[in-house]
Amino acid sequence: MQHYLILCRSLTYAQRAQRAVERAGGSGTVVKAPQEVTGGGCTYGVRVPAGKLDIAMAAIQRAGLPTGKTYIYETDGTLREVRV
Amino acid sequence: MIYLDSAATSFQKPPAVYEAVERAMRTMASPGRGGHEPAMLAADLALDCRCDAAELFRMDAPENVVFTFNATHALNIAINSLVRPGDKVVVSGYEHNSVMRPLRLRGANVTVASSPLFCPAEMEAAFAAALPGAKAAVCTVMSNVFGYITPIDDIAELCQKNGVPLIIDAAQGAGNMDIDWKALAAAFIAMPGHKGLLGPQGTGLLLCAQQGMPFMAGGTGSDSKNPDMPDYLPDRMEAGTHNISGIAGLREGIRYVRERRPKEIGRHEAVLMRRLAENLRKISGMEVFLAENEAVQGGVLSVRHELVGCEALAECLGAAGVAVRSGLHCAPCAHQTAGTTHTGTVRFSISPFNTEEEINQAAEITKACVKKLLIDRK
Repeated sequence: MQHYLILCRSLTYAQRAQRAVERAGGSGTVVKAPQEVTGGGCTYGVRVPAGKLDIAMAAIQRAGLPTGKTYIYETDGTLREVRV
Repeated sequence: MIYLDSAATSFQKPPAVYEAVERAMRTMASPGRGGHEPAMLAADLALDCRCDAAELFRMDAPENVVFTFNATHALNIAINSLVRPGDKVVVSGYEHNSVMRPLRLRGANVTVASSPLFCPAEMEAAFAAALPGAKAAVCTVMSNVFGYITPIDDIAELCQKNGVPLIIDAAQGAGNMDIDWKALAAAFIAMPGHKGLLGPQGTGLLLCAQQGMPFMAGGTGSDSKNPDMPDYLPDRMEAGTHNISGIAGLREGIRYVRERRPKEIGRHEAVLMRRLAENLRKISGMEVFLAENEAVQGGVLSVRHELVGCEALAECLGAAGVAVRSGLHCAPCAHQTAGTTHTGTVRFSISPFNTEEEINQAAEITKACVKKLLIDRK
């Protein structure tokens, strides 16, 4: 299944984002973001299934939580930035 | 043992605290250090604890709950963040060395808003007079020596009117008083985890309205290429590995307090303190520092005897199975204000787990100790 990765500024924000998504009926997993996309070094994000990105983004925004860039996992495992 | 030294460290904890500490040590690693299960379990626990604390203190943002190692650590961060050398800082006359020493180390120009014991209107007036020109103010919610509940709501309002950021030392009030972050609008509120919140030693919380200056710098598991500490909470203020087993215990302590409700715990402690005070007053030569107004004293009671030294009395009590503390209780400022510096006091401090029977026994044992020590003197 295809997934998206929503970058967050820190582990705490990623956790809060994930909980907001789950409260909204979506699903997400907190993951350590690959170095290739973090820019500033280690950070975390929320991985959500394709088709659930809209629900997730809406839930995160409703919770007032800042997010970074969003990526889609390509079939070869690499990440490509997407506009949301 | 009858443990009456909870103002230093609460000794009896809810059973869930002990269990959580062990579970964390057996199953958890460190938040923000990996994506594996032990690390993520620790991360979940840390956020749960922040959320529970945020709800207890009516904060919206759990990320503004920063873990520290004790209240002293939290106060040092807060003072370091707001105070520059030479700044005028107003404090109450009941502050602990965890406030006074960091201010001195920082080179602050400290103004003590001195006021008599158990006189909240006078304390408010002293703050009102002292605040103009101040860069910060620090005030305890309850004296660790006398249990004096300060008029913190009024002082917070005065600070707001004067545009002076306020640091609140909630070391004695967290867990047994309603502390409302939004209503107080303080810059920082500092507290230990190991007293009224019933967590393990080595835990504390700093509630932050702003980011502040890191007191320590180091790894945070975030923003690693940045040579400086991250510019967001809680990471900015939490360098190094967390005391996750302590945080696990603290979370259970906070859950217990929320369930039993701080105000109810405070009432229980104050009722027992008053009963103890009334019994100790019957001992000839005993001076008991009891407020006439019940609303201004929590579950902490200081006494001293005109002939028996405080250390001797505390030692006798300890030998008889009553744990209390004697001396200046790391708060010479409070003793100076109350006029007890030359003798110190013996302090009895109550926990949610103390019973009326224990209090009655403690009073009887105190009476017997005084009697014995007076005989020994002859």
